[in-house]
Formats: sequence, structure tokens, C-alpha cells
Amino acid sequence: MRHRLRDPITGLLFVLPMLVLFLMFRIFPTLAAAGMSLTNWNIGGEWSFTGADNYVRLVNDPNFWSSLRVTLVYTAIYVPLVVLVSLGTALLLNAVVFLRGLFRGILFLPYVTSFVFAGIIWRWIYEFDGLLNGLLAKVELGPVAFMERADLVLPALAVVSCWKGFGYSMLILLAGLKAIPGTYLEAATVDGANAWQRFRSITLPLLKPALFFVLVIETISSFQVFDTIYVMTGGGPAKASYTLIYGIFERGFRFWEFGYAATWGMVLFAVVLVVSLIQRRIVGKEDT
Amino acid sequence: MTLTATRPAARAGRAAAPRRPARGRARRWALYALLSVMSLLTLGPFIAMIIVALSPRGAPTVPVQWPDALTFDNIAQILGASGFAEWTVNSLVYSVVSVVIILLTASMAGYAFAKKRFPGRDAMLWTFIATMMVPFQATLIPLYVLVSDLGGADTFWGLIVPTLANSQAVFLMRQFIMGLPDELFDAAKVDGASELRVYWTIVVPLTKPILATLGVFVFLWHWNDFLWPLVISQSDATRTLTVGLTVLKTEELQWATLMSSAAVSAVPCLVVFFLLQRYLVNSIAMTGLK
Repeated sequence: MRHRLRDPITGLLFVLPMLVLFLMFRIFPTLAAAGMSLTNWNIGGEWSFTGADNYVRLVNDPNFWSSLRVTLVYTAIYVPLVVLVSLGTALLLNAVVFLRGLFRGILFLPYVTSFVFAGIIWRWIYEFDGLLNGLLAKVELGPVAFMERADLVLPALAVVSCWKGFGYSMLILLAGLKAIPGTYLEAATVDGANAWQRFRSITLPLLKPALFFVLVIETISSFQVFDTIYVMTGGGPAKASYTLIYGIFERGFRFWEFGYAATWGMVLFAVVLVVSLIQRRIVGKEDT
Repeated sequence: MTLTATRPAARAGRAAAPRRPARGRARRWALYALLSVMSLLTLGPFIAMIIVALSPRGAPTVPVQWPDALTFDNIAQILGASGFAEWTVNSLVYSVVSVVIILLTASMAGYAFAKKRFPGRDAMLWTFIATMMVPFQATLIPLYVLVSDLGGADTFWGLIVPTLANSQAVFLMRQFIMGLPDELFDAAKVDGASELRVYWTIVVPLTKPILATLGVFVFLWHWNDFLWPLVISQSDATRTLTVGLTVLKTEELQWATLMSSAAVSAVPCLVVFFLLQRYLVNSIAMTGLK
């Protein structure tokens, strides 16, 4: 009897600190973002309700469309790259026993560093007189201005994010590979299946949930790329690496147009939401 | 079924025996060669960074060649430079304070969500989880306006407090605590233990492994965090290392200095890595924390 009364109150008290933090700094800003996108809020804090003006401005803003295109192109380069690298390294690690821990550690190492750290090192690697061009010169190629060419800047940035981040997906896929019963693969070997056939008809289907998780996580993280761009290119050359997030940042903190910047934020929210819902849909179907 | 399956396997093994060792060895060599190449590509940037950081100032940074002499001058200069020490302290404050408060508040909330019944519990939990879908950057502008209106711009509380609302942490703690047997809590209550006592003597000790894992991740998230510190800190008083590095990058033209700074900034992460690698690796596979 006493417990029944005590429980609700203590339960609420235990949740309270986190609840207050959430209401103030997650939920309120989420709702406020939608509200702000309907105003002309600026740095002085004065604002008036402007209805859909920001959205009209957005669809007529060539910068917005170009940032959306840049973000999607970046995603289209980054996601296949990181999935291939993490799947490849996970398969390699899964196939060896001796020194596996060492290799796994080395491959995972960049994950613990920051994107700013990665951006600074790779900015130098890509310099006109940097490491990569130094190596290219040895085989009598280049020099290539990686950071100044509109067609190379996005692949170059994708490589940096891949270097820094693939360790995470590699570990997820490695755990998925370890969960596949060895007897399945042995049985297939007995039946005369070669390595490729075993991979195609046993490993890949059984790895699908892990692979799908990695795909979604990496897609969402590719929409959110910012740090490396801020450090390495500043959105350039000629807006060739000007992504959606970079747009939010520049609108908000260079031009101080908070209302319009919030509108850009709403688009990011919508894009991530759509990806998450598609994921739900597909995962839901798999389960039934 | 298993009997018939093992027999052909044994036969096949014997039949292929003369050819297998050679093929197996070649395959193993190929695997290790590929792993070594990948490891070299992964480590290459670190090694190059260290070489440049230890090269004398003004040495040609067109690399691929060993510098004539190695020097710690750049590192010493960086450690003594104005700003850098301050940024490091700020990063430490930002990370350590966040770890302590998040572990405390998230384990309390996780305990309540897992073991208590109170009105609105499930709705609250679902709201927490739903906020995971809202990208932080989409709420950046209102969050900045809110915090600076409250006087939090360029202050430690403005830097730290908004990042404490962490649904991943709450959810993880809840999942873990749900696995603890109810009898434990009932027994403590029968013995007349107060709620705080139950939390402190049962929940905290039993969740130590997950608290440690979460602590490491929260530390890395905050140490490496960039966008929020970038917008909310406006002077060296609250600027963190990641933001400081980008300031330095716009002022500093010597790659040797920049690489030294970058290298020093990564030291805590590398220490965490070398001490807790196995731990980190296992917890990613088990919890999916990112």
C-alpha cells in the first residue's frame, strides 16, 4: 500500500532533472524551430510573423537548391564508400585469428579522434605541396589541387569522413559476421560452394540487418557533415561543398537571419525524418 | 543429418589434402597483406602528422622524406602559447562535468523508467526516444537564441547544460536496469531502505559496467564536439580545443605548429583508446552507441 503511493512520486522525482533538461533544451527548441521558421527573427531579437515567406524565399533560393544537391551528391559518394570499406575490413578481420585484435585496434583508431583533428591533418595531406601530391609526384603524377577543384572536393571530403568513421561500422558488421553460425558456411563448403557463392547466399543475407543498420546510420551522418567542411573548405570552391548544415550555419551565424536559418533547419529535419521512416518501414517488414 | 554432413566433409578434406595447405597459406598471406595495406592507410595520416609535428619550423613540409632532425620545439611552443592551455582546460571542464552530470541524471531517469510506475511514464519515454530523430543541427538556431537570451553565451553553463539532455544515455540506462531482478529492489524496500539509498547502494553499483561504457562515450562526444562550442563560445574564456584549433588554423601558417596542436589535442582520446580499446570495441558491438 505504501509502495503504491511512494512509487509515482519518487519515479517522477528521479526523472525530473533529465525531464527539465529535455523540455528546455530538446523539446522546446524543436517546437521553436518550426515557429521561428515562420518569422523574420534577426540578431536583435525583434521579429514579426511572416507566414510562409521564408519557405517561398527558400524554394527561390539557388543557394538552397545547390546545397541540397551538394548534400545528396556527398551522400551518394560517402555511403557506398564507407559501407564498402567497413564491410571489406570486417570480412578480412573475420577471416583471420592471429593478430586480429591488433589490426582491429589500428583500423578503429581514427574513430576516437575528432572531425576537426581529421580535417586539419587531411587539409595538409591534400595541400598542393602536401603529402598526397608528394606521393603522386613519386609516380610522376599530379600535382592535383584537391581542395580547389569543384569535381574533386566532395570525393576528397568523403574520404576524410570515411577514414575517421569507418571503424564504427566495421565493428557493427564484424559483430554481425560473428553471429553467423560457422556450421552454415561449413555445410555450404561441403556442398561444393565456392567463396563467392558462400558470401552471396549465406553471409550477405544473414548480415542484412547489420548492413541495413550501418546504411541508415551512415546516411544520416552524411547529411550532418559539417566539421570537416568548416575546417577544410569553408563550403568552397564556389559553393561546391556548401551543404545543408553549412547553409544553416552561415545563414544563422554569418548573416544572423535566425528565422530564415531555422527554415533551412526544418528541411534538414524533414530529410532525416524521411530516411528514418523509410528505415522503420523496411525494418518493420523484415520483422513480420 | 549431422552424421551424413560430417562424413563427406572428412572425405573432402582428405581428398583435397595435398592441395589445401599451399592454397590455404597463399590465402592467409593475401588476407594479411590486405589487412596490412588497410592498416597502413589508416595509420599513415597519424604517422605523417607526427613527423611534421616533430620537424623543425620552416623545414620543407613536402613530406615523404624524413626530417634531418627531430625536435620537440613545436610542441613546447604550443603548450606555452596563450590560448592553447586555456582551451585544453575548457575542453576538460566541458567533458568531465558533462560525464558526471549525464551519468547521474541518466541513471536516475533510467531507473525510474525501468522500475517505477508513474503517470505519463510511457509517453515521456517515447518523447525522449522520438527526439533522437530530430537532428541537433535543426534545433541549433532556437537553442542558441534561447541560451543567449538566458545570458548563457560565452559561459560554461551555456556551453555545458544544453548538451546534457541526452536520450541515448537515458535509453541505454533504462535497457540495462530493466534486466536487473525486481526482487532486489523489493527486498531493499522491505528492509526499509529509502529511495535514495536504493538508488545509491543498488542501482549505481550494479550498473557500473554500463556507467563506465557510457562515461567513456560521453567523454569522447564532448571532447570531440565542435558545432555547439563553435557558436556558443565567443572568447578564449570558454573556447574548447576543437574550436581553438580552427581559430589557430586561420592565424597560423606553419604546418609544424598546426600539426603539433592537432596531435596534442588528440592525446586524451588516444589515452582512452589505448587503455580501454577492448572495452570500447565490445560496447559498440553490444549497444550500438555511436
